[in-house]
Amino acid sequence: MLGYALRRIVGLIGVWFVAIVLTFVAVQFVPGDPIVAMLSDQSGDRALEARLRAEYGLDRPLWVQFVDYLRNIANGSFGLSFRYAQTPVSEVIAGGLLITPLLALVSISIAVMLGVLLGVFAAVRQNSWADTAVILVLVTGISIPNFAMAAFLVYVFAIQLGWLPVAGWGRLDQMLLPVAILVIPPTAYIARLTRTYMLEVLSRDYIRTARAKGLRQRLVIYRHALRNTLVPLLTTVGIIFGGLLSGTFVVETIFNIPGLGRMAIESIFARDYPVTMTIVLLFTVFYSLINLIVDLAYAALDPRIRLGQERGT
Amino acid sequence: MRPGGAASDFGLRFRRNRNAVIGAAIVTLVLLTALIGPFFVPHDPNRVNMLAVWRPPDSTFWLGADALGRDVFSRIVVGARVSLTVAMSVLAITLAVGTTLGMIAAWYGGWVDALIMRTVDIIFAFPELILAILIAAILGPGLTTVIIALSLVWWPGIARLTRALVLSLKEEMFIDAAIASGTPVAKIMWRHFLPNIAAPLIVRASIGVGFIIMAEATLSFLGIGVQEPQPTWGAMIRDGLTQLRTDPHLALWASAALGITMIGFNLLGDGLRDILDPRLQER
Repeated sequence: MLGYALRRIVGLIGVWFVAIVLTFVAVQFVPGDPIVAMLSDQSGDRALEARLRAEYGLDRPLWVQFVDYLRNIANGSFGLSFRYAQTPVSEVIAGGLLITPLLALVSISIAVMLGVLLGVFAAVRQNSWADTAVILVLVTGISIPNFAMAAFLVYVFAIQLGWLPVAGWGRLDQMLLPVAILVIPPTAYIARLTRTYMLEVLSRDYIRTARAKGLRQRLVIYRHALRNTLVPLLTTVGIIFGGLLSGTFVVETIFNIPGLGRMAIESIFARDYPVTMTIVLLFTVFYSLINLIVDLAYAALDPRIRLGQERGT
Repeated sequence: MRPGGAASDFGLRFRRNRNAVIGAAIVTLVLLTALIGPFFVPHDPNRVNMLAVWRPPDSTFWLGADALGRDVFSRIVVGARVSLTVAMSVLAITLAVGTTLGMIAAWYGGWVDALIMRTVDIIFAFPELILAILIAAILGPGLTTVIIALSLVWWPGIARLTRALVLSLKEEMFIDAAIASGTPVAKIMWRHFLPNIAAPLIVRASIGVGFIIMAEATLSFLGIGVQEPQPTWGAMIRDGLTQLRTDPHLALWASAALGITMIGFNLLGDGLRDILDPRLQER
């Protein structure tokens, strides 16, 4: 187990390094000169241009710039923003640093609990009208993109009924709609998987044995069947989390939430590439950490994984 | 087995699968709309009409007009074509690249395999939509950018699936026989591997269409996808959201078009998976 964990952590550091190299290379391909863009109306001022170029380190050879980039990541400043002159990226994004991870973690927790409950509910009532109704809701929940869902929900709950605010952040009632929109697609996905795995487990011999020895239905479902459903479900949580992180870009933009997702989109339009790349890096680190935790949990539960057999995709 | 047995068996199982039938009906409707709809739209989708700004739905503008007085119905119909153009292009590119690289990796093994699969691993290390946003940000918005960005994030899945399928096929007798009789590698791949891995690839592709349409709409919604004046559902929803209180028709109808299309492709994908390959895991 320890060996497996070590191998995974070394792999993780490799992924981070590749992500750092990729974001650095990406900025080199961006069209236009950021310093010229910053100067705008003072573009004739050669002295100022040279001073800015030196300040941002853009007058130095590429490999020195890369070492600077690494150093800035290591000391946590992430370099200087293009949009807010002389301001470190860390200061620009500080306000959103807690909002987005919190939003994502709260949403995934709700989605897992709600999804498993719905899935079990549908599975034990296989082929009944309740099952069909749940499946219909699930397909809709998985299919409709979050911003289209937002249009409907905002229209009904904020505009027609007037129960909830249209946008904003800070108060509890302002969080309800964004969280709901982030939660619905992963909930539907998890519920559908739970239903499928549950039906498979319920057809196994040990379930028949449990029933034959007279265990009550609830005990069979929650003690015997659910446990064996949760293990394969765990492997998909990482992927679902990736979708949820991308969802924060959209939801934060719609509801005017000052998180990292909205900042990333704004920085793309402002051509503030240091900010864009820092946020992409942070999302990648966050995503890979969640995946590491999921994989370690899975390995702890299933010895075949840590003994070196690859998990099927 | 009698001639055509496999085909009619497929037809029978297809007709019995409720999801597949409903999905196929919706997908056919969307495909027809995209193919011939633009020839029959009541208005030029890009014609600006300052007298019709935010006009609510009526007998001339069936679904109302947008901020520039353009007909929403016509733009939704033409938007279907933009959506499907992206989806089909990405699908064609990723299937070609993904299956080729997947087969090469599985066939040659060694450092070729390692090189291809490590590249795949790196792309998988990023959340797919965030990687697409990053690529779109670098290349600048536009239809081509969207196709490139989504192709780059979608091919690794196809390659990994192809590799896994070919690795297990490689052990089969008929492949040994083909090698022994001196069949060229390209021919083995084309004639022996491809037909045998087609079913799971079709399932994967049909599920992929939904993802690609959603990803294109998301990029366009965020403003880094397909650009004006080309109508796209994502951008229409964005424009409509700001006006939801007074003129909800734009956002709601564009959302409905996107939602119904997604439901159609997902139902069809689910149905095809049940029919063609019941054991295939969801991803």
